[in-house]
Amino acid sequence: MSILSSPFAKKPNSVTQMMLWVVIATLPGLLALLYFFGFGVLFNLVIACSVALITEALILKLRKRPIAPILWDGSAFVTAWLLALALPPLLPWWMTVLGTSFAIVFAKHVYGGLGNNIFNPAMVGYVLLLISFPLEMTTWLPPQELAANPVGFIEAISIIFTGAASDPAIVDSLKQGVDGFTMATPLDHIKTELAQGYRIPEAESAAIVSGLSGVGWQWVNLGFLAGGLVLLFKRIIGWQIPIAVLLGMGLVSLPLFFANSDHYLFPMFHGFAGATMLGAFFIATDPVTASTTPKGRWIFGLGIGVITVLIRTFGGYPDAIAFAVLLMNMTVPMIDYYTKPRVYGHKANKGHGTKKGHDEKTSAIKAKGAN
Amino acid sequence: MERSNFTSEIAIFEIPGGVHPEEHKLQSNQAEIRRLPLADELVINLKGQAGNRSLPVVSVGDKVLKGQMIAECDGVFSAYQHAPTSGEVIAIEKRTIAHPSGLDDLCIVIKPDGEDTWAELSPVENLEDLSGKELSGKELSREKILAQIFEKGIVGLGGASFPSHIKLKQKDNIHTLIINAAECEPYITCDDKLLQEHAEEVLKGAEIISKLYHDIKIIVGIEDNKPKAIEALDSARKSLELDSIKLGIVPTKYPSGGEKQLIQLLTGQEVPHGKLPADLGLVMHNVGTCFAIYQAIALGKPLVERLVTLTGEACQEPGNYWIPFGTPVHHLVTATGSTNPKRLIMGGPMMGYELPNDQVGIVKATNCIIMSADGELGMDKTALPCIRCGKCMDACPASLLPQQLYWHAQADEFDKAEEYDLFDCIECGACAYVCPSHIPLVQYYRYAKSTIRNNRIEKSKAEKARERHEARQERLERVKREKAERHRKAAEARKKAAAEAGKKDAKKAAVQAALARVKAKKEAQKATDDNQDGES
Repeated sequence: MSILSSPFAKKPNSVTQMMLWVVIATLPGLLALLYFFGFGVLFNLVIACSVALITEALILKLRKRPIAPILWDGSAFVTAWLLALALPPLLPWWMTVLGTSFAIVFAKHVYGGLGNNIFNPAMVGYVLLLISFPLEMTTWLPPQELAANPVGFIEAISIIFTGAASDPAIVDSLKQGVDGFTMATPLDHIKTELAQGYRIPEAESAAIVSGLSGVGWQWVNLGFLAGGLVLLFKRIIGWQIPIAVLLGMGLVSLPLFFANSDHYLFPMFHGFAGATMLGAFFIATDPVTASTTPKGRWIFGLGIGVITVLIRTFGGYPDAIAFAVLLMNMTVPMIDYYTKPRVYGHKANKGHGTKKGHDEKTSAIKAKGAN
Repeated sequence: MERSNFTSEIAIFEIPGGVHPEEHKLQSNQAEIRRLPLADELVINLKGQAGNRSLPVVSVGDKVLKGQMIAECDGVFSAYQHAPTSGEVIAIEKRTIAHPSGLDDLCIVIKPDGEDTWAELSPVENLEDLSGKELSGKELSREKILAQIFEKGIVGLGGASFPSHIKLKQKDNIHTLIINAAECEPYITCDDKLLQEHAEEVLKGAEIISKLYHDIKIIVGIEDNKPKAIEALDSARKSLELDSIKLGIVPTKYPSGGEKQLIQLLTGQEVPHGKLPADLGLVMHNVGTCFAIYQAIALGKPLVERLVTLTGEACQEPGNYWIPFGTPVHHLVTATGSTNPKRLIMGGPMMGYELPNDQVGIVKATNCIIMSADGELGMDKTALPCIRCGKCMDACPASLLPQQLYWHAQADEFDKAEEYDLFDCIECGACAYVCPSHIPLVQYYRYAKSTIRNNRIEKSKAEKARERHEARQERLERVKREKAERHRKAAEARKKAAAEAGKKDAKKAAVQAALARVKAKKEAQKATDDNQDGES
């Protein structure tokens, strides 16, 4: 029996328990995805999670690390889980495999495994797929109730495993709405319409755009919002980042909307469209890659919100949570360094703008990579 | 746990961070204070305080009386030690001491004679029968009080064992005495219980301390989870007519009893980095210390025992006991009828340490012994990597970034750790308590601190060695230079002498040469003449 070191009091938190809560909290959003977009999501989850666990185990074996305790921490599972929730429901199976294994190997273990990675692994996997397979990655089905050809359980399996979703003809038929028009996600739809010279009110008249942001998507976002509030309440995540993300989006979209409501979306639409709530509460709050200081969390979250709306509005992609998160991940060592809280008994924060501060940044990055 | 309804009499400020571990105080604060039978032998650790080891003044075979001085102070932070009971010194040898290292150190071992006979006591003045008001009005000599506190071996009983008279020496600008009764660590209830049963003596002790500073303000800082102690304080204050003492009731949160934290809670001020509470005009003493000071001044009793909380699920008779110093822990286990504790913790579950064995004797800093049952305490499973969740940062009462300190400490980047204010860490353990990866963070900080301290010592040693070396080099250089200079001068002198000698020689030579020439001429002349004579 080895001698223990203080504190001896029973510890109230564990990584596994935190990861478990993250998964539980995604359930309302997941249910909405299942209801509106069919069973494809389920297969994505199963494929991604098994690939993640297998890849993690293999890499740990290669790195001669203990396998069981690290698999059991649940972090690889959560990475895969969040990635799968962000993927289009009928993505060919091998793309899910590619994205997940890339996330685990290159975004996580190349940096030294859990706790050492600079970039959010799920978002690295997502962006790899998005820029490699733009067609498949933007093939979102219309919500089941609007679809001309709703996809059933068996159909979903066959599309995912035969790769039919890469066939433009099949994709077209899947994307067809009851009214015969091809449908995309609300954000995609608006972007296309604007590009064709329509105004926002005209673009919003389509069947896919209704309510807060659109049939299906508003409920998915409400679901993730509800789960996110559970995480906040359970203190699994801090409140600064999600609030700051939403605030950041509002900061850019509100002035734009007031300046020209024909061209720019209402802030509420941004808040409930695309991956906003999943991003704000589940992705941006990844502890490893987010800023850890109280002020830093604000800056990090605001940055994600601002960049997301800027790319959605002026960039080439309909959604941008993944890009925004990765861009802000890069700034974290610097943010953390310049937002040190004032320590008890000290007058002010140290290291502002000194040369020493510069050295610190680089070494902070090194320190993160070192292990 | 029950909270007191008593409203604080002074404004209470906020402290950042802090945690709320399970309190476990009801186990030990129900029973009245008791005594246990004396142990067969008392092992008095001579390194039982902050500074140097005390020096024994008794020898093996000596008979000692209770309260007789057995070891004297060695250096500034050391303290006198007194026999906790009457008996015979049976050994002065190395034994395992109460220290996280589990190392052996010199101890005086006393075999009690069972009589418990006191040596003659020498109070400064008999103050026992004085009412609070009389005490308050009484003139006492500052020097005498300080000398008595020193000679009676009184050290801070809150945990640091810092000699009290040193803390009390500074007198300028002190305006407030804070009595620390917060007792924020789970399980421990000895301060709570001491106040419940001896509040008057504690307040009288506080009054004596305040006399050292011309009757300064007295505040008692106490957590609201001690309703009975608060009541006892209030009624003691009334019966002693010491109404000027104010009660500061702080919310129960660990570590509100840390010196810096309690000051922040009660005054809203922070002790500036590198400064002492005295620089803010504050002096803080633990309730146990106040009690001990009262006993020393009014009754002449040296510090030979203290109140210790014996608790934990394996303890059969949990409660608070007057324990003579040196009582081995195994005696406490058996005397309370406890069986097979899984682990023995000295101190609380947040800052205490596990004892290497049960032979260790109680020291002045021992406020609690936890005899834990299987599964009672958190077992450290394998630590997982840090996920930078920042829970530690939210829990840190000093507003440090524990995750950054950990990064740098584990990478041996000590300069970086210092840049993140490692030395402002009070090692309260709140960070490690909330860490979901169960990383023993405090261990890393202790390791980094001790390495930095050692490096500093090494560095200053090396610096001194370098200075000595340079001084030597310089001396040798100088000697060489001086020698060379001397040689040069000598050579010059010689040259000069030689030159001068040469000059003289030349003159002489010239004269001689001239003489020689004249002589030769003369001889030549003579020869010619002779020849001429011969020819002629």
